[in-house]
Amino acid sequence: MNSFLLAGSLPPDFFGRILFILKNYGVSMAKGAGTTLLIAIVGTLIGCVIGFIVGLIQTIPVNPNDSVGKKILLKIVNIILKIYVEVFRGTPMMVQAMFLHYGAMLLLNLHMDMWTSAFVIVSINTGAYMAETVRGGIFSVPLSQTEGAKAIGMNHVQTMLNVILPQALRNIMPQIGNNLIINIKDTCVLSCIGVVELFFTSKSVAGTYYTYFETFTITMVMYLIMTLFFSWLLRFFEKRMDGPAEYDLATTDTLAYTSGTLSDPRKDFVDDRHLSDTSRTGEDNLNNTRR
Amino acid sequence: MSDKKEIIEIKHLGKTFGKNEVLKDINFSIKEGDVTCIIGASGSGKSTMLRCINLLETPTSGEILFKGNDITKEKNVAAYRAKVGMCFQSFNLFSNMTALKNCMVGPMKVLKKSKQEAEQDALFFLTKVGMAPFIKAKPKQLSGGQQQRVAIARALAMHPDVLLFDEPTSALDPQMVGEVLEVMKTLAKEGLTMIIVTHEMAFARDVSNHVVYMQDGVIWEEGTPQEIFGDPQRQETKDFLSRFINM
Ligand SMILES: Nc1ncnc2c1ncn2[C@@H]1O[C@H](COP(=O)(O)OP(=O)(O)O)[C@@H](O)[C@H]1O
Ligand SMILES: [Mg+2]
Repeated sequence: MNSFLLAGSLPPDFFGRILFILKNYGVSMAKGAGTTLLIAIVGTLIGCVIGFIVGLIQTIPVNPNDSVGKKILLKIVNIILKIYVEVFRGTPMMVQAMFLHYGAMLLLNLHMDMWTSAFVIVSINTGAYMAETVRGGIFSVPLSQTEGAKAIGMNHVQTMLNVILPQALRNIMPQIGNNLIINIKDTCVLSCIGVVELFFTSKSVAGTYYTYFETFTITMVMYLIMTLFFSWLLRFFEKRMDGPAEYDLATTDTLAYTSGTLSDPRKDFVDDRHLSDTSRTGEDNLNNTRR
Repeated sequence: MSDKKEIIEIKHLGKTFGKNEVLKDINFSIKEGDVTCIIGASGSGKSTMLRCINLLETPTSGEILFKGNDITKEKNVAAYRAKVGMCFQSFNLFSNMTALKNCMVGPMKVLKKSKQEAEQDALFFLTKVGMAPFIKAKPKQLSGGQQQRVAIARALAMHPDVLLFDEPTSALDPQMVGEVLEVMKTLAKEGLTMIIVTHEMAFARDVSNHVVYMQDGVIWEEGTPQEIFGDPQRQETKDFLSRFINM
């Protein structure tokens, strides 16, 4: 298991050893951390996509006047998805990794390389969690939003894409962040199928000189830096999604441009009180107000 | 009244929730350009009837003819709803969009207008309701009266044939009621067909040309505002109206 060669003699003090490990194995450990991040981020992203697809299917409304075929198909698909969610939420990821990587190889004669296995496992595991989160996120958007959308003639897909999902996404951002952080930590279980991520690398480094305390101090700090950084980054995204806390009042220029250029198709709707506000031509203002 | 065309005809409309029969054999019709106010005590089925008209509730029985076609048999419900606007008591603005985007999303996604056209149109109607300075605001950054005016602009931007209002001022502080009613008054003058559920009796009397009094899921009495407010025929109507002393 130990793939690291001895690199000279070990300094006697704690900090000396830390520096020694960093100097000789820092690059390997950083590479391990890179692998950890790669699997965690890609797995979380694909997991989110799976979660959104599953959550969306599970929340398709059934109308009384839908065809029987559609109702039955939806029922069957929903049962399959429910099984998927329960199985992958209800079993440890390490067991899933062994089951899929080694078990599936024997049983189905399916040869997934280590990397494929790693991405597949983290993705479908995250997907199972995210499916429930997305379902909850969709239900957390008040019914009044759906009715507002229906009232202007949006169909289910338009309502979902424009109104419900953006709000659901905002509501579940903290959960997505949570999943990413859990994945950064939990990719360490993939060492059981031989993925050389941060934990695997650390174990090898520690084993070379029996410097478990020093090496894992470094490892702890590295995991902590990664998780802290991504919690910060996600909170930053959340703030961005919320938009500015204040709004600017539109300038008279913008308004002049509007009322000046508009010719409403319904003539009886033209309100001259506002049209008389401006005598400028629209084009002028268009250039002023639009970049 | 006049020779204007009927735009909505409701025939024997019934609606039950479980065992609760909320609407019983509702019959009435709306002509183009009519401003109809529906009045009645809370729980009498006004909202349910209004929601049946744009199919937010599925009627249990009866027909609703829109320009002669029975929309309870309609397959493309969304396309029908695009022609019948609705303003809600709680505004129901999209909280993830600015006031401007609220008024653009329907025209762009449903009517497939270009962004530029939708924006011009949205700005026109926002100006009309006096909300042009607030186009960049999100709904939660606006007062109730302002939100309702944006909601009216959003509905208008779809160029609906009929606009439904379900107690548009009931959730507002008294000082904001006026600003919303003022906008609705303008729309009425311009000839927009409107069906308004309201407790604002003075508004109903002065602005509408058709008043429907509902009680216990049936239409108890209907007529012109002069008839209903000046000379109600049935005791129940008189009793109901007597509660609004300060008209
Ligand atoms: N979704 C629903 N499920 C069951 N009962 C309902 C539902 N919506 C309304 N009702 C009932 O229908 C009756 C009429 O309600 P509504 O139409 O809201 O009256 P109004 O708008 O005149 O106050 C009430 O008794 C109410 O409890
Ligand atoms: Mg009501």
